[in-house]
Amino acid sequence: MRRERIGLVVITLLAAAGVLYWVQASRGGSTGPAPAGVVRGGRLIATHRSEPQSFNRYASANPAEELFARLTQATLVRLNRATGELEPRLAREWSSSPDGLTWTVKLREGVRFSDGLPFTSSDVLFTFQVLYDKRVASPLAGSAMVGDNPLTVRALDTQTVVIVFPAVYGPGLAILDSLPILPEHKLRRAFESGTFKQAWGVATPASEFAGLGPFTLQEYVPGQRVVYQSNPEFWRTDDQGRKLPYLDQIEVQIVPEQSAEMLRLEAGTVDVTTDQVRAEDLAGLQALQARGVVTLNEAGVATNPEMFWLNLNPSSALAKTRPWSQRLELRQAISHAVDRRRIVDTVYLGAAEPIFSTVTPGYGEWYVPDLPPIEFDQTRARALLASIGLADRNGDGKLDDERGETARFAIVTQKGHTIRERTCAIIQEQLQAVGLTVDVVALERTAFFSQVLGGTYEAAFFQLIFDSFDPASQFDFWASSKGFHIWHPSQAKPATEWEARIDDLMVKQSTTLDRAERRRLFAEAQRVLAANQPVITFAAAKVVVATSARVGGAMPSVLAPPVLWNAEMLWLVPAPAGASGK
Amino acid sequence: MNADLAAFIGRRLAAALLFVVVVSCAAFVLVRIAPGDATTDLYMQRGGTAAVEETRARLGLDRPMVSHLASWATGLLTFDLGQSSVYGRPVAGLVKERAGATAALASLALLLAAAIGLPLGVLTASRPAIAAAVAPISIALVACPPIIAVLALLLLAIETGWLSIAQGSYAVPTLALALPLAAMLERLQSRAMAEALASPDLVAAAARGVPRGRLLWVHAARQSLRPVLGIAGAVVGTLFSGSLAVEMVTSWPGLGRLLFDAVAGRDLFLAAGCALVGAVLVAVSNLLADVARALIDPRVREAA
Repeated sequence: MRRERIGLVVITLLAAAGVLYWVQASRGGSTGPAPAGVVRGGRLIATHRSEPQSFNRYASANPAEELFARLTQATLVRLNRATGELEPRLAREWSSSPDGLTWTVKLREGVRFSDGLPFTSSDVLFTFQVLYDKRVASPLAGSAMVGDNPLTVRALDTQTVVIVFPAVYGPGLAILDSLPILPEHKLRRAFESGTFKQAWGVATPASEFAGLGPFTLQEYVPGQRVVYQSNPEFWRTDDQGRKLPYLDQIEVQIVPEQSAEMLRLEAGTVDVTTDQVRAEDLAGLQALQARGVVTLNEAGVATNPEMFWLNLNPSSALAKTRPWSQRLELRQAISHAVDRRRIVDTVYLGAAEPIFSTVTPGYGEWYVPDLPPIEFDQTRARALLASIGLADRNGDGKLDDERGETARFAIVTQKGHTIRERTCAIIQEQLQAVGLTVDVVALERTAFFSQVLGGTYEAAFFQLIFDSFDPASQFDFWASSKGFHIWHPSQAKPATEWEARIDDLMVKQSTTLDRAERRRLFAEAQRVLAANQPVITFAAAKVVVATSARVGGAMPSVLAPPVLWNAEMLWLVPAPAGASGK
Repeated sequence: MNADLAAFIGRRLAAALLFVVVVSCAAFVLVRIAPGDATTDLYMQRGGTAAVEETRARLGLDRPMVSHLASWATGLLTFDLGQSSVYGRPVAGLVKERAGATAALASLALLLAAAIGLPLGVLTASRPAIAAAVAPISIALVACPPIIAVLALLLLAIETGWLSIAQGSYAVPTLALALPLAAMLERLQSRAMAEALASPDLVAAAARGVPRGRLLWVHAARQSLRPVLGIAGAVVGTLFSGSLAVEMVTSWPGLGRLLFDAVAGRDLFLAAGCALVGAVLVAVSNLLADVARALIDPRVREAA
């Protein structure tokens, strides 16, 4: 009898514990391990090198604001930065008209902003109104234009919007990837009064924000940190129906120096850093990975290779004083004279691949693997230089042009960027080996930009960062009329036949919905560019992303931000008793 | 206060004011004429021409430099330092909170440096065996720029775990600023003490049988104060410039890092505001040091 009573009590206690666990799990509670190894709760410590100027993504376009928007707000659709696929976010489903111009978008139902108010099509209309408003002059507006014309948006009902494109746009709704949906109820008044740009400044109290993202702003301490807490209203669940995000908090510490970020990661005081790992940090981190302190994840080949280019603007001082600098043979000679493998081995310490195009293997389907490789061949380089009249006319070992002046130019690059400075040193040395005299001028970042944008440079070495894999997002680099056609920007009409050809191909590929045809057209544009080499690439880094060993769920991307783009899926592995970072 | 001293302070105040005005205006002008401006980054991030033009107009970058400078200087009269383009906040508030962080760091470093350097200077002046051991270390530390000191301390912290490198920890930045300064104070104090001990009055005092401890720590230490006070202004300048590297590497949210961000982002008002506060700090510390020297030694105010 007594045994039976004890058994009954034990069974009752076990049943009660089971019920409590089930209640806790179904609430998405923040303690206790969830099934499949995911642990809820905890505070992830990240670093970021820049500080927000504003929390208004439509007023300011810096990486810190972009991170804020990714964490606290949501877009209609999202580019999965690991797979390159377009994912539904606030848009549940969509369809397009046969001509590809009109897209009907069904919004997710039952979604609420972090302050509890419902999200409707009215918020989408308001967002587009802000985006294209001339008073706001949003830095996001340019990326949401098709052929310099805005999209038009109207609502069919509270859960359906119709987006009309001014022309067929190849990537379709991917154009919406960077447009967070704003809460009309919070920002309409500022917009109407003409103070929208000042709204959501960095001094705004956290209670004034409302968003649809996985986190909400909890605290901003200038110069030190931005703290986010999980948004209880966040609408997304994981594959098993568990509420996201898994983390309770993310603390983003402001650490302006990459070396200082690495020290903190190595010491175990942070979990995630701003960027990919630099080549010089890799060996140390591999040792720490072996000790279980950090995890290194290979994300793929970088999509933003460093580029060398000569100023090909015919009205530049370089073109006027040294006409040989505009010749294709010079660019071909430079490409042959520089040993890409040496750059890979000495600058990137092996963590890179030699490349022959601006479109690296990191671009996936858009990469053209059969572009002809450019062999390291200094004999060929010398012959090419001789073919444009460069010869050693005074026996000093340096090439001279037909007027007897030393064949010389200066490369400007960014000071303090080790990859750029070291690569330029190799370029300088190897071009000297074929007789070209090269000066390397390292400038502070803003001074470098100023010189390049002003067109007062001779040659440059830098990288352009693209926010998407899709070539349509790179139109301002490929099209001769655009400002980022870096070797000769903003041309009134194409200066060369091959640039006209590229313009034509790029317009066609960005206004075609047939993906296979787009790939064919873009591959052709790459071939034309490779044949004329207005920019020369040497190596693309293999992107390695380091996190502390306690971070789970990371889906590293070659695009920025490499880990926090998918912050809602991150979780923390509890440290074993007695473990420490060092 | 006698008339000589009042006139001395008046002259020093006028010079300090001129120094502050020149330094802050120079910072404004230099950042304005430097290549690029506050919208360069926005353009490079594909912000678009409309956004760039709107920002240039809002920041006054489309105005002639003289009128831009004049409007900033007019604002100064009402303590309006303008709006930071990098941080999107009023410069006065930013500078106030960052100057506080730098002042806390610098004060702690100064106290630590004085607590180590001055007594050690007295000891090395009077005990050759200690001098032989300390002098090489001091010389090495004096020659060590703060950037090297902070990197070495970070390495030590990582390898041993003795010092915290967590954000907000004072250990590494304070030591990085304090150690070279302590070495400088030790060298200076040691030399000044040696001179004081060799002076006729102290030689006579020693001959009269004044106890060695009293001779060292009271009479000689007091005499050696004047040259040490003379570099007080320079010490504040050194701390301010040294804090730039230290704050960058340790992510300390102080004035040095703010000034770096301002110059890198071509933030005119913020750069000028930081320079103004830095100049005020240096000017005030120089002024206080001059007044202290003048109070101790009448020859100083007569010479001035």
